[in-house]
Amino acid sequence: MKNKLTMIIVGIILIFFVSLLHSEKISNTKHNLSVSGPGTVKAASESEICIFCHTPHAAAKTPLWNRTDPGQTFTLYSSSTTNATIGQPDGASLMCLSCHDGTIALGSVVSRTSAISFGSVTTMPAGNTNLTKNMTNDHPVSFVYNSALATADGQLQQPASITPPVSLYNTKVQCTSCHNPHENTSIKFLVASSQNSALCVSCHNRTYWSSSTHKTSTKTWNGTSPNPWFHTPWTTVTTNACESCHNPHNAGAVRNMNYAAEESNCLSCHNGNVASTNIQTQLNKTYKHNVAGYTGVHDPTEANIAVTQHVECVDCHNGHASNANAASAPNVKGSLLGVKGVDTDGNNVDPSQYEYQICYKCHSSSSWRPGSPTTRQIAQNNVRLEFDPANPSFHPVESAGPNPNVPSLISPWTTTSKVYCSDCHASDGTSVPKGPHGSTYAQILVKQYVRVDNTSESAANYALCYTCHSRTSILGDNSFREHNKHIVGEGSNCNICHDPHGISSTQGNSTNNSNLINFNTAVVSPSSSGILRFDDQGLYHGRCYLTCHGQNHNPYTY
Amino acid sequence: MKLFKLFLVLSLVVFFTSSNSGLAVITGSAHDFSGQSWNTSGEICLPCHTPHNASATNKPLWNHAVTTASFTVYTNGTIQATIGQPDGSSKLCLSCHDGTVALENFGSTTTGTHFLTSADPEFLGTDLSNDHPVSFTYNTALSTSDGELYDPAVKEVGAAGSGTIQNRWLESDKMQCSSCHDVHNTPGIAKMLRKSNAASALCLTCHNK
Repeated sequence: MKNKLTMIIVGIILIFFVSLLHSEKISNTKHNLSVSGPGTVKAASESEICIFCHTPHAAAKTPLWNRTDPGQTFTLYSSSTTNATIGQPDGASLMCLSCHDGTIALGSVVSRTSAISFGSVTTMPAGNTNLTKNMTNDHPVSFVYNSALATADGQLQQPASITPPVSLYNTKVQCTSCHNPHENTSIKFLVASSQNSALCVSCHNRTYWSSSTHKTSTKTWNGTSPNPWFHTPWTTVTTNACESCHNPHNAGAVRNMNYAAEESNCLSCHNGNVASTNIQTQLNKTYKHNVAGYTGVHDPTEANIAVTQHVECVDCHNGHASNANAASAPNVKGSLLGVKGVDTDGNNVDPSQYEYQICYKCHSSSSWRPGSPTTRQIAQNNVRLEFDPANPSFHPVESAGPNPNVPSLISPWTTTSKVYCSDCHASDGTSVPKGPHGSTYAQILVKQYVRVDNTSESAANYALCYTCHSRTSILGDNSFREHNKHIVGEGSNCNICHDPHGISSTQGNSTNNSNLINFNTAVVSPSSSGILRFDDQGLYHGRCYLTCHGQNHNPYTY
Repeated sequence: MKLFKLFLVLSLVVFFTSSNSGLAVITGSAHDFSGQSWNTSGEICLPCHTPHNASATNKPLWNHAVTTASFTVYTNGTIQATIGQPDGSSKLCLSCHDGTVALENFGSTTTGTHFLTSADPEFLGTDLSNDHPVSFTYNTALSTSDGELYDPAVKEVGAAGSGTIQNRWLESDKMQCSSCHDVHNTPGIAKMLRKSNAASALCLTCHNK
């Protein structure tokens, strides 16, 4: 009987204390700066908890604030893409900063004549929680978030749809929009869990995001340093979501990116440690889109036809949109969703519908577009002009080719097929991620394409062309009946006679430039009559005026 | 042995459930004005109370002139309570602490010259925007809409059995100065608090933070 009574009494005591622990939530957080607090930064002997921020009488400002305005001028967040007007911190944010900017003694409160002692600590110690006066690397606060802003931005929720636990204060975003200083039921005093970036998407409504692999992937980190998710407790792509690339505080670059080097934000996962596509390996190759060669040049607001030479992952990919969806040429695949581009007429498009439109941003009218590796009769390195469907001949990137008779095509290729730029320009090797990231072959070609004169013909040397064009058919002279003599007999490579992209209709014509004929003038010179010309004379017939390998064609007719 | 255990447990219960049982008195406290130059009566209670001919409108047995000031009341962006002009006993407190009524204006005196001024720490003035709000209804509905206030009809002011906030600290369901302060200094706690604010226990009695 006595034992029962004892147990009941002990039970009551336990319930009393457990309920006490749950009810006094702030007391269990680092914001309990009193001597009883759980953190390492706390008062030496002061027992009151509320006093570090609040006082019941003679407060500095609402809500019963017991701290003084930092009186500092903060360096504010700014970016080319924000539509908000970001002013100096105000409202509750200013109060948070009265500790978190690191300028004011933690124990300095209005209601005490001398600061409450924190032992050896005076101001906020250096580290993540000391935001400093430099707020350029923190999510902006103290800006009006109204319907006009949401409309101007286009990818923000209307403020009317923002509901607790996320809140606006006097129409403004403040620290307290995301953080509840009194409660730490999630992490970092967030008003709700940041898992799956639930807080971010309360306001940010990114186009494409709902179907992006970066939102949905359950991939995990293989543990090889560095940790791609260094500022979260989450362990998958989907649970980290926005924070895989963005860091709301102490970010590495503008737009709260994790890293200043643009590509690092992608390669921290696409390096074999998380993503199935290891892009870093491709970028280590000799020929590549050299994303590591530029930092701070790319800007999301730049013209579609890039003015200043650079390349970054985000020039071709939209991290908010990318997914693994397949497509057929020339439509963009999931990996290239949501990227602006330039269409066949040189007009801006956003988003690009076709893959080539993305390539044209740099490889068409830009002043610094890469040159051609081959000197030809007709020089042209504006790729948009080379693939124009009005051209006398072209590889079928924008539309099916003009030549209905291509007997070498290997099934399933036909004369009505279209190809991607990335069918030829892509990383070499097997089981590598698609796309022109990096190759051991020049021009970032997917396979070998020897351009040196006097080359012994082999399947390997012209592997690029033989991918679609049957070696047997070509060397069997099924179309041009002298192919074998030129390629095998003379060691001439494909590139000497053929200009693989195409010949612009503004420079060539269907008589002299059908069948991608545009001679390499480093090898081919005029005939003894001073003529350098190909004449198309109907199906599988033509004549050439030229001198090559000492042979004067004046003309040679077939 | 079992008896000893039981004794130990019961002792703990008594220890944790009894709070601030020490009794102090107004005599010698900051509200003992018997020695003040302006209190020619030399009495302790008289500046506030009189046994006869007291105010008809102000209870209990009120003897001091009452402020007629208009106050700037507390407000902020998140408060759920409706804060009106001070009323009830708070208005009586403010009849000294707002600095508009002379300390000695009690009984028949109406022309006193001793006022609390902004130099005095207990001066509140008529701008109450920087003071904890008073004279607002603190009921179950408010605690529900706020979300971070305890239900005053349920939450007890101290250990189990100490009585609810509503019964012990509120005045007709309203938070008043007297919700935090015992003007007569009965508990003998600094600043005449009803309950020690060590570990912010007083604040956290109502605020569920």
